[in-house]
Amino acid sequence: MHILIVEDDEVARDYLAKALREVGHSVDVAGDGLKGLHMASSIAIDLAIVDRMLPKLDGLALVQSLRATGRKLPVLILSALGDVDDRITGLRAGGDDYLTKPYHMSELMARIDALARRGDSGNAETTAKLKLADLELDRMTRRVTRNGKKIELTAREFQLLEFMMRHSGQVVTRTMLLEGVWDYHFDPQTNVIDVHISRLRQAIDKDFDKPLLHTVRGAGYSLREDE
Amino acid sequence: MAAWRRRVLSADQRFLGLLDTSPFRIAIVYSLVFACGAALLLGVVDFAVSRIVDGSTDNLIEAEVQGLREQVLVLSRSDFIELIEQRSQDQDVRGAVYLMVDPQLRPVAGNVPAWPKIGSSDDKWIQFKVSVPFGDETREHEMRAQRFRLPGGYRMLVGHDVQERQDVKNLVMRGLIAAVVLTLMLGLGGGFWMGRRILAQAGAISAVATQIMRGDLSQRLPVRNADDEINTLVREINSMLDKIEQLTLGMRTVLDSAAHDLRTPLNRLQATAEGAMSGLAPGSPERKVIERVSTEVDHMRSTLDALLRIALAETGTVAREPVNLSELVASMVELYAPVSEERGIRLESSVAPGAEVQGSRQLLAQALANLLDNAIKFTPDGGHIRVLLKALDSTHEVVVEDDGPGIPADKRELVLGRRVRLDEARKVPGSGLGLSLVAAVTKLHGARLILDDAGPGLRVSLKF
Repeated sequence: MHILIVEDDEVARDYLAKALREVGHSVDVAGDGLKGLHMASSIAIDLAIVDRMLPKLDGLALVQSLRATGRKLPVLILSALGDVDDRITGLRAGGDDYLTKPYHMSELMARIDALARRGDSGNAETTAKLKLADLELDRMTRRVTRNGKKIELTAREFQLLEFMMRHSGQVVTRTMLLEGVWDYHFDPQTNVIDVHISRLRQAIDKDFDKPLLHTVRGAGYSLREDE
Repeated sequence: MAAWRRRVLSADQRFLGLLDTSPFRIAIVYSLVFACGAALLLGVVDFAVSRIVDGSTDNLIEAEVQGLREQVLVLSRSDFIELIEQRSQDQDVRGAVYLMVDPQLRPVAGNVPAWPKIGSSDDKWIQFKVSVPFGDETREHEMRAQRFRLPGGYRMLVGHDVQERQDVKNLVMRGLIAAVVLTLMLGLGGGFWMGRRILAQAGAISAVATQIMRGDLSQRLPVRNADDEINTLVREINSMLDKIEQLTLGMRTVLDSAAHDLRTPLNRLQATAEGAMSGLAPGSPERKVIERVSTEVDHMRSTLDALLRIALAETGTVAREPVNLSELVASMVELYAPVSEERGIRLESSVAPGAEVQGSRQLLAQALANLLDNAIKFTPDGGHIRVLLKALDSTHEVVVEDDGPGIPADKRELVLGRRVRLDEARKVPGSGLGLSLVAAVTKLHGARLILDDAGPGLRVSLKF
């Protein structure tokens, strides 16, 4: 994937570029908003990571100008501001996701993957049936089966599984789950998400040989068929 | 939340509201005073006028009676009768009336048709009515007269037509009543008009004030094109609001730059640590050191997040929107239920439906999460936590009760301050900002935070 990083903090930008290259992306960097906007509109880019406070042209203004010209590439906004409302402002300006500094590289990677995949599998948002190996989820009938056997889930477990299946094969972090499934944006001090996941795991993996819900150490969870 | 709620007034309430305005009350009081003044003034005038007019009429009659008494002594009866007839016909003395009757009270001379049958014969002054030709018709006229006896059983009546005087009096009376009624009507009408004006202005002001309290600091009170004291007051309040908006924006800028200046180096630190970690073998002593650094960055981040959220809530620079409190409380309970179950803690809840408040959903969620985190942290395994949402007409109350050690009464005020952790709490992890954030968020929403004894345990109540 070709990624553009628009970030004025050199240290953070270099580490980010290095980490992205290590996992196989090609990376372009810009140190200010104007240069970033110029590059984003002239080079073929798959995804942009834009810092919110930039010299010359503010990050939000950059995203707005980009959207005004009709560019639809996914944009992840990085912010060092207060939070609470900033996230909404960022998404309203045209950002697709929002991450507050300091962040873990694993969190950022997981979000980039999710954004990139959102472009490919746009139909996953709308299709009625989601399928992974022998696990099937029907959004219309709210029915979940594995290997043809019906699995009973609570409303929240169903939502959780639906979210995981839409991101199957990807790493999903705890904050992504809290945001995506519950629409909350804070760090719970207790391991609330882990307990919900372990219940879901009980429901879908317990009676079957091949586990589908995996824990990714130091990052989060992943729903995938192990090869 | 009561402060943010605006009542919609029904027509009846609006009318009653009008009666309650100060201009209306002032108008009523003044119109009553003016009406009484007018009545008093006209009464005095009437009294004085009738004193003078009555007095002069009575004097005229007295003089005539005196004259006739002398004449009767010197004139023969027939001459006296002629004199009476003559006086009766005399057009110069307008309104004078005479009547002479024989002992059987039959009229002998004069211009009154019959002897009036009023009063005992001893009364010196009498008043009676006589039909008088008035154009084609006759009119009853009021007469005032004196009676006296003549020699030979004859009687004499001398008087005066006082109808005109009565007419004037009636006219004055009617004018007086009209003046009083008119004063009252004008007063009430003026009062209504002024009252409506004031109500309209007060309504516009309170509508804007509500929006300002909801956090829209760019709103200003409406100023009318007049220089009265209310407008002067409104202008002063508006310039005060300008100042508050400036200060708040300034605070927000300070907060944002403080956040930026702390998050940027923390971000570099995290990036550097993670960069270094990737080159080190898992489990090596160097890697352990770097992992420790990364964990500390995480702690600093959550403390910074909490401090910033407290500051944002305290400065009130947070967007507000309608929040479904019932849905929020229910979903937070649902989020924390599995965690408490793992610890064998029973998490009971009773959530009334349909409770809504104006505010920040994310901050309210964070505050509730802090309360539930605390409750789970301090409740012993196998304990019991209760979450309640009571919804009344205008107020809502969220209660979180636990079985833990509680907070001694004398320390409850203390824990709401920044970074206070009681000795008993030192063995459990946390930043010590949890309850301060709850306090700041409660205040932002115009609610009241009450810490109480759940006997045993802590009972936290948020009253919206």
